[in-house]
Amino acid sequence: MSVTTIAPSPRAPARRIPEQVLRLGIVVILIAVIIVLGCVVSDRFGTMNNLLNVYEQSTDLALVALGQTLTILTGGIDLSVGSMISLLSVLTSGLINSNGDLVLPVCAGVLLLGMIIGLVNGIGIVVLRVHPLIVTLGTGAMLQGLALLYTMEPAGGVPDGFDFLAYGRVADISVGASIVLVVYLLASFLMRRTATGRHIYAIGDDRHAAVLLGLPVRRLTVLVYTLSGLLCAMTAIYLVARFGSGQPYAGANYTLASVTPVVVGGTMLSGGRGGVIGTLLGAYLIAILNDFLNFLHVSTEIQLVVQGLIIMLAVSAYHEGKKG
Amino acid sequence: MRHGLKAALLGTLAAGFFAGAGHAQSQSASSPGYQGAPRTELFNPALTSCIRDTGKYKKAPPYTIGFSNAGLGDSWRVVALDELKQGAEDHKDVIKKLIITDAGHDDAKQVSDVQDLASQGVDLMIVSANTEKALDPVVTRVMRQGIPVIMLDRRISSDHFVTYINASDPMMGRLWAQWIVEKLHGKGNVVLLGGQAGSSPNENRMGPAKEIFAQYPGIHILDTVYSDWSPVKGKQVMQAVIAKYGHKIDAVWSAHGLQVPGSIEAFVEAGFKPGEIPMHTTADVNGPLLMALKYKVPMLEISDPPAQYRTAIDVALKVLSGAAVPCTYTVNSQISVTAGDETPSIKSDEPFASLALPDKPSNYLVTNDLGHSYDPTTAHTQYPH
Repeated sequence: MSVTTIAPSPRAPARRIPEQVLRLGIVVILIAVIIVLGCVVSDRFGTMNNLLNVYEQSTDLALVALGQTLTILTGGIDLSVGSMISLLSVLTSGLINSNGDLVLPVCAGVLLLGMIIGLVNGIGIVVLRVHPLIVTLGTGAMLQGLALLYTMEPAGGVPDGFDFLAYGRVADISVGASIVLVVYLLASFLMRRTATGRHIYAIGDDRHAAVLLGLPVRRLTVLVYTLSGLLCAMTAIYLVARFGSGQPYAGANYTLASVTPVVVGGTMLSGGRGGVIGTLLGAYLIAILNDFLNFLHVSTEIQLVVQGLIIMLAVSAYHEGKKG
Repeated sequence: MRHGLKAALLGTLAAGFFAGAGHAQSQSASSPGYQGAPRTELFNPALTSCIRDTGKYKKAPPYTIGFSNAGLGDSWRVVALDELKQGAEDHKDVIKKLIITDAGHDDAKQVSDVQDLASQGVDLMIVSANTEKALDPVVTRVMRQGIPVIMLDRRISSDHFVTYINASDPMMGRLWAQWIVEKLHGKGNVVLLGGQAGSSPNENRMGPAKEIFAQYPGIHILDTVYSDWSPVKGKQVMQAVIAKYGHKIDAVWSAHGLQVPGSIEAFVEAGFKPGEIPMHTTADVNGPLLMALKYKVPMLEISDPPAQYRTAIDVALKVLSGAAVPCTYTVNSQISVTAGDETPSIKSDEPFASLALPDKPSNYLVTNDLGHSYDPTTAHTQYPH
C-alpha cells in the first residue's frame, strides 16, 4: 500500500486580484483607451474643457444608476425609475412655476414623494411576494399615466439661478457632477463599511440564506427601493435644472439606460456582486464614449451599435473572470 | 399713391431683408407656385422689424459649422437633412467642415451634443431643438460663450439666438384654422391632431390656431391628440377619437401632413365613405394629397419647405461674414386647397391636383427643391465633413 503525500508547494500561492478590482480595472482601462483614441482623433478631445463637459454630462445617468445598483445588488430591479423621473420632473417645475419662494418646499416635497413611491415599490415587493420586475413595471405604468394626466406638455418653469445645479461650475468643475461624486462616496462607505451594506450584498447573493441567518431581508428590500426613489427624485430635480422645465417623458430613456452603467461597472444582474464605484465609472465610460463618438462624427444609429457592443464585451469579460 | 407706397415698402424689404440667398427660395418640386417675398414679412403691420447685427461674429473662411439635429425619424427630417448637406456642398469653397450630431429626439442627448459641438470649436452652430424649453439653457450658454447660434425649424423658448429660420409656424396654424372656420361657417366640431407635444412647430402652430378658433363660439374643439409626427401613431390616436365622436367630427386640424395618412386611414376603416371624411389640413407630404383626391377629402395644404435647411447654410455664411440678418428668417409657404374648397381668406397658389405626385411614394415630400429625380433612399451628398 503506497501512501501518496502531497508535497507543499515550494512557492506561496500567487495572490489573485480581487474580482471587483479586476472589473473596475477593465472600466478604467476602457476609459483611458477612449481618451487616448480621442486625442488621436482631435486635439480638442483631451482638453480640460471637453473632459469637464463629459464629467458634467455623466451626472443624470450616474444618479439614477446608483439607485438601480442597490436594487440589482439585492437581486431585484427597479423598472419604474423612468416614469418616476418623468412624474417628479413635471411636478417640480409645474409646482415651482418660476416662483423662487417655492423652490425649497417643492424640492423637499419632491424628494419626499420620491421616497414614498420607492417605499410603495418596496412594500409591494415584500408584501405581495411578486418579483420586483413585475411590481415596478406596474408602478412605472401608473406613474407615467399620472405624469401625462398632470400635463401633456412641458410644465411650468424654474426661476433664474436654478440651473446652477446643472450647469454651475466652481473652479470650472461641475457642481452637480461633484455632488453626485460625494453621494457615490457615501454610498460606497455604506455598502462596504456598514452592516446594512453587507446585508444588502448577502440578500442578493442568497436570499434564502439571508432569511435563515435572520437578516432583516424585508426591511432592507424596502430600504433599497426607497433609496432608489430618492435618487430618482434627485435626478428629476437635476433634469429640471438642466432643461429649465419638466417634461412628461423626461425619464423615458432612463429605465433601461440606468442598467447599462451598473452592468458595465461590474455588478452582476443576479445580485450580490458588484459595487457602486463600478457604476460611477460605468457612467463616466458611457459619457466619454458618447462624446468620443460625437467627435468621430458617428451617426446615432452607429453610436447605439457601438454602445451595445461595449456592453456585451464588458459583460462577457466579467463572466470569464467569474469562471476563473 | 398706394402703388408707390407698396413699391417703396417692397424696395425697403428687398434691400434690408432679402439681399443674397435665402428668403424666396423654397419652391415646391412640382410647380413654382407663389414666387413672391414671404407673406409674413410683407403683411407685418409693425413699422420696423427686428434686425440682428452680426458684426461681432465676422470671421475669415474656411468655417467649421456644427448642426445639432433633434433627430430623424420621419420623412420630412430626412429630406431636410439632405437639403442642409446640399447647402454645405454648394459652399464647400468656404466651409471646411460640417459636423452633424443627431440626438434621436432625446433632450438629454441633444444638450450633450450641443456642449460637444462647442468643445469641438465650431465657428457657428445650427440647432434644431427637440423641445423648445429643454434646449433653452444650453443654447443660451453657447451664445454667451460667443458662438453664434441659428435656430432651424425648431426654436428654443427664449430669444437667445441670432436668428430663427422657419416657414412661419403661427401663419400656418392660423391659416389652417381660418380655413376650417370659413368652411364650417363658424359652427362645427374640430379635432386637433398635433405632432410632438412640446416641440416648437407643434406649439407655435397649435397655439395660434386655438386663438383663431376661440374667436368663433360656434367652433368646439372636441379633442386634442398628439401623433409624434407619425402616421402610425396618428392612426392610433384618431381611431380612439373616431370611436368616441364618430360623425360628430367636422374637421381635423393637423399640425403637419406626416400624420394625416394615418388619420384618413382611420376614418376609412371606421366606415366613412368617400365624401364623408371630414376636412383635413396638411403640409408637404404626398400621401395626404393623393388620399384627398381618392377619398374626396376637403384639404388645405400649406407647405413647410424642407429647403429651409439649405437656407440655413446661406444664412450661416451671412452671419459669419458679419451681415445683418432678420431675427426671424421666414421661408415661403405654398398654399394649395382642393378644388371647390377655397374660402374668402384661402386661395390656392397652385392647383391641388398638380401638387400631388401619383408616381411618387406616400411619404415623398412634394415641397423639396432637390428635384424630381431626388430619392431620399439613395441620395448621397459630398458635403465637407
